[in-house]
Amino acid sequence: MNIFKGQRIALASLFENNAQADRFQVGLSISGNKEAIDFACFGLDSQQKLSDDAYMTFFNQPKTPCGAVELSTPVGDTLGFSCQLAKLPAKIDKLVFTAAIDGSTSMGQIKDGYLRFLIGNQEVARFAFSGKDFQDEKAVMLGELYRKDGAWRFSAVCQGFNGGMAALVKHFGGEVAEETPSPVSTKLSLEKKLASAPKLINLAKKATVSLEKYQLQETVARISLVLDASGSMMTQYRTGKVQEVIERLLPLAVHFDDDGELDVWAFSSNVLALPAATLNNYADFINTADDGWRNWGMMSINNEPKVIKQVIELYQKTLLPVLVIFISDGGVSRNKEIKDLLTGAACLPIFWQFIGIGGRNYGVLEQLDTMAGRVVDNCGFFALDDLNSISEQELYDRLLSEFPLWLKAAKNKHIL
Amino acid sequence: MAISLSKGGNVNLSKEAPGLNKIIVGLGWDARATDGAAFDLDASAFLVKLDGKVRSDSDFCFYNNKVAGDGSVQHQGDNLTGAGEGDDEVVKVELSKIPSDLDKVVFSVTINDAEARRQSFGQVSHAYIRIVNEEGGAEIARYDLSEDASTETAMIFGEIYRVGTDWKFKAVGQGFAGGLGPLAISFGVNV
Repeated sequence: MNIFKGQRIALASLFENNAQADRFQVGLSISGNKEAIDFACFGLDSQQKLSDDAYMTFFNQPKTPCGAVELSTPVGDTLGFSCQLAKLPAKIDKLVFTAAIDGSTSMGQIKDGYLRFLIGNQEVARFAFSGKDFQDEKAVMLGELYRKDGAWRFSAVCQGFNGGMAALVKHFGGEVAEETPSPVSTKLSLEKKLASAPKLINLAKKATVSLEKYQLQETVARISLVLDASGSMMTQYRTGKVQEVIERLLPLAVHFDDDGELDVWAFSSNVLALPAATLNNYADFINTADDGWRNWGMMSINNEPKVIKQVIELYQKTLLPVLVIFISDGGVSRNKEIKDLLTGAACLPIFWQFIGIGGRNYGVLEQLDTMAGRVVDNCGFFALDDLNSISEQELYDRLLSEFPLWLKAAKNKHIL
Repeated sequence: MAISLSKGGNVNLSKEAPGLNKIIVGLGWDARATDGAAFDLDASAFLVKLDGKVRSDSDFCFYNNKVAGDGSVQHQGDNLTGAGEGDDEVVKVELSKIPSDLDKVVFSVTINDAEARRQSFGQVSHAYIRIVNEEGGAEIARYDLSEDASTETAMIFGEIYRVGTDWKFKAVGQGFAGGLGPLAISFGVNV
């Protein structure tokens, strides 16, 4: 059976008589290239990211921890993998088979190649491609297996990146080892800074791992938190979840900001600038700051533009980069206004990390990443069912993944 | 809450939004992250009679003929107005203005120069069509094509059609061989 570029098809239909096969092989081959080509299989999570490096299978790491994907080259192929999808953990949503050229040539210069499926050494389906399917790409996703409605499907992706393996790994949210050694930290370790707050000390290590991962150890920045305090958030306040958020975020403020303060706003139809959260007052902050959340005059409808304006006003003259963590439980309707404000704010040293929690209809917030017409991409967005449902490590990772990209872009454009 | 349709599904727009007259048809897809030949996607609308053909070429609404069907259908080109937030291409339709001899408006998207660039809809992620009530901006129906798109280079995303005095929307998701030219010819346009 032949598969064509761009085609999407149920895996079972490729196997025809062997639809129930629990083990199959993927064979890869490329010919006509002068330089070495590395093949790999990336196991991605539902966010299309390589959240666990152990799920990248290649010559240096020949097997996933679960054993679902294992290097095994069929006769006649350059490289291949043996796959037992039933063994994959649920968190792995997709397996992407890639090829990368290590050298000066590109995929446009290869003669031809294929990705084929085999069951018991017999070929059952083949996706053939040639150099004409590419231009200057050096690393490509040849095809991918992905979960859809409880079944596995295959897509002949055949697209890639001119930047080679590094660009591909970055696309999957992974890290690429930098060749320059990282500077020795001049900052006091976060653990030492948090020594006076025993409740937060166990967060220090986790935050430090993420900060190192994104090379933010030396970054000085102001951190602020904008809290949705509209009526639909009431349970989150009452059950202490919002308080937990503050506790989880404070270590970041302590790290980034020399005054160790987390600027906090609450908004509903109105906006309230709360006293900054610090290591001295963080305990029970939600119930004590400004007489506690029940007395903030919130819990009405949500007006995002109003608080965005106030945040911009406060920080527009600042010289330090600002990371604004903006929490919304959805029902966002003032899309045009929000979009205009954030587009206008792209020239300011402010990065907006929006987090959607437990709600829906995030409106324009979900599109901020790709919004056109800005000097730099100054916004990030991710949604969670519950802010406290993911591990602290994962929260820090997700919070900090886009900020360094913005820091770099903003420096290039002389915004910082 | 908008109705989410699967391929072949339909919804009575007039019942979902009583008094509906002006609609925004938003078509979109994800900007891709990869390099290689650029993708150039174009949306078009065909206003056809009961026999599935246009009355004349002026019933074919596309980037070079932005107003069609006696002014009832207007192609907004790239989304510059802010209406239909987030859509890549927007077509506005005023239902009461659609001439009575026209029965259906078919919305399609084609990949420009697909053959030479060796591109197909299977490489486009998260393509969708949605119907929004221009009054109030509420989304009435949406159809996500992702899994229904494969090796096609031209696709009919959806269509709105008359049923008595009501208007319905159908999620079509059907591929078409060739590009915009052959697609237009199939609807009786002289290309």
